Amino acid sequence: MAAADFTARRTNKMRRLGRIGKLARGKFVSPKNIADILKRIIEPGDIVCLEGDNQKQADYLANELAALDKKDLHDIHLVMSCITLPAHIQLFKKGMVKQVDFCFAGPQGATIAALVEAGKFPVGAIHTYNELYARYYMDLTPRVALIAAAQADRQGNLFLAANTEDTPAIVEPTAFSDGIVLAQVNEIVDKLPRIDIPADQVDFIVQAPYPMHLQALFTRDPAAITDVQILMAMIALRGIYEKYEVQSLNHGVGFNTAAIELLLPTYGEQLGLKGKICKYWMVNPLPTMIPAIESGWIEAVFSVGGEVGMERYTAARSDIFFTGRDGSFHSNRAMGQLAGHYAIDMFIGASLQVDINGNSSTVSKKRITGFGGAPNMGCQPMGRRHPSKAWLKAGAEANPGPGSLPGRKLVVQLVETFQAGRVPTFVEELDAQDPSIKKALHGVAPVMIYGDDVTHIVTEEGIANLAACRSVAERQAAIRAVAGYTPVGLKRSRRVTQDLRARGIVQFPEDLGVSPAQASRSLLAAEDIKGLVRWSKGIYDPPAQFVDW
Amino acid sequence: MEKFAKAFPSRPLKAPKDRRWALAGVVGSGNLEVMFERNAGGPDRMECHVETSIPGYKNSWLAALADFAGHYPVGGTKVTIHDQGAAPILVTLRLRQAYNHLTKATT
Repeated sequence: MAAADFTARRTNKMRRLGRIGKLARGKFVSPKNIADILKRIIEPGDIVCLEGDNQKQADYLANELAALDKKDLHDIHLVMSCITLPAHIQLFKKGMVKQVDFCFAGPQGATIAALVEAGKFPVGAIHTYNELYARYYMDLTPRVALIAAAQADRQGNLFLAANTEDTPAIVEPTAFSDGIVLAQVNEIVDKLPRIDIPADQVDFIVQAPYPMHLQALFTRDPAAITDVQILMAMIALRGIYEKYEVQSLNHGVGFNTAAIELLLPTYGEQLGLKGKICKYWMVNPLPTMIPAIESGWIEAVFSVGGEVGMERYTAARSDIFFTGRDGSFHSNRAMGQLAGHYAIDMFIGASLQVDINGNSSTVSKKRITGFGGAPNMGCQPMGRRHPSKAWLKAGAEANPGPGSLPGRKLVVQLVETFQAGRVPTFVEELDAQDPSIKKALHGVAPVMIYGDDVTHIVTEEGIANLAACRSVAERQAAIRAVAGYTPVGLKRSRRVTQDLRARGIVQFPEDLGVSPAQASRSLLAAEDIKGLVRWSKGIYDPPAQFVDW
Repeated sequence: MEKFAKAFPSRPLKAPKDRRWALAGVVGSGNLEVMFERNAGGPDRMECHVETSIPGYKNSWLAALADFAGHYPVGGTKVTIHDQGAAPILVTLRLRQAYNHLTKATT
């Protein structure tokens, strides 16, 4: 019997590096050789990780990869956070991908749905971020990782600037398993501001002919916040933030939560809540948080990524934001998601569809979007053991049995009963349950947040406390009670709603002391982007598409 | 354009007598105006007149108005609504705002 080879990956890596020869000068590669390099370092059957999430993209390497011929690149197992660029789609259209495992496909959702229908999207599974990173250390360890950094120095160390994002979670499992790490960088410099990835973990570096793509994803213009969203923000502040004394939290990226951020220095102060709630945040540097930060509400913010335009502001507020020795902003998606999973009192976010059991999804029959990070935060962390006031209070309401955790994370869905175009948010059954979608995903419906994890649903009608419901029937009735005049809402029984209201499971604005007359845009601490710039004392630099003055 | 009227049972209004009417919202694209007036009708009925630019949602309107009359003591009022394609979620907010204006103490 032949001796088992326990170093085959290392030998194989040496063979691949041997094929490079003089195409590289040390670690450094010229853009004119990049196609050849890609052909020589990737082999059929490889797990290839292409860095790209909803903000930061190794777009140059993606474009070069997609420009190869199928004879030079085929049967790859693609693993990546977000499928968002046209180049990503090209890989599928050219039939180069034998399997894909990913998290999110926001802007390409409709294209992905079409590819699924055409049988050209061989998906393994759709993941949440940390779930996919975890698999990079288990059964999906990349052989080749194509990543993006802001700068490299002559030794090959990398600086990731504000958008660290996924990079460490990709590089570590690749570099420590004899994989190959190829980084595109915006520039090569003599001295880096700080080292985020050591040269030791990087095999090749190419200075891209154009800077990596960075999407301003979390900028919400206060000018687009509606009176209804302000009412919902008031309801949430009184009925949840104030009631449970929420200290640590994550906000989604919608206008609903932006409204809450902008009410803290106004309505929140009126209620005397400053210093009592909303101290610790796991959230990107949201421009709409500037007024609350400037008013002294916020103790600390940790982020999974940066936000274009917030660089000078975050550097100047280093007590609040995590910053490097060089003084500039630092983020980390894996660690941020971990914090959002274990260390927050509350997750609050919006969704496109909520069913009568409280399950939610952003997938529709013509748009397969996936998950991203929300399910890591919008769930009950069963491994949590540390108490907090909010956690214990929510736990007590949920009436834990002898075999369950004493506490609960507040998982709040903040949704208007209708989306734009009179499309109801509340449905009897999610589009995600569509048999063709379930089949493509090997029997799993892409549910974003499960009803069992949700503690509250807040709509413009009021609050349904799902955690306090004692049966499935009761939970459904509570959801119908706040589902407004959607078909789901119209099926409610007035008598049952009255009973739930009497027990505090359903609460309307007047039950919370919320005056709808106050629900007006004038209650916002800033009514437009220019207002945010003023609050920042001129150090927030909004991206051009948000500047109209 | 669709027009309809209906009255709903409600508890009698409690509001300062000098406050004869109240208005919330404006007639503009995607918005609506809601006017409450004290009327001479019965003290246990809210009389509603709706004029909307988007036909086909009468049942939703009636359900929203019936619920409103059930939740709040608005008997003895007449509600006139002019809607120019407001999102459904705005309707109850405007009703509540107009009701707030009608019932708050005179300043």
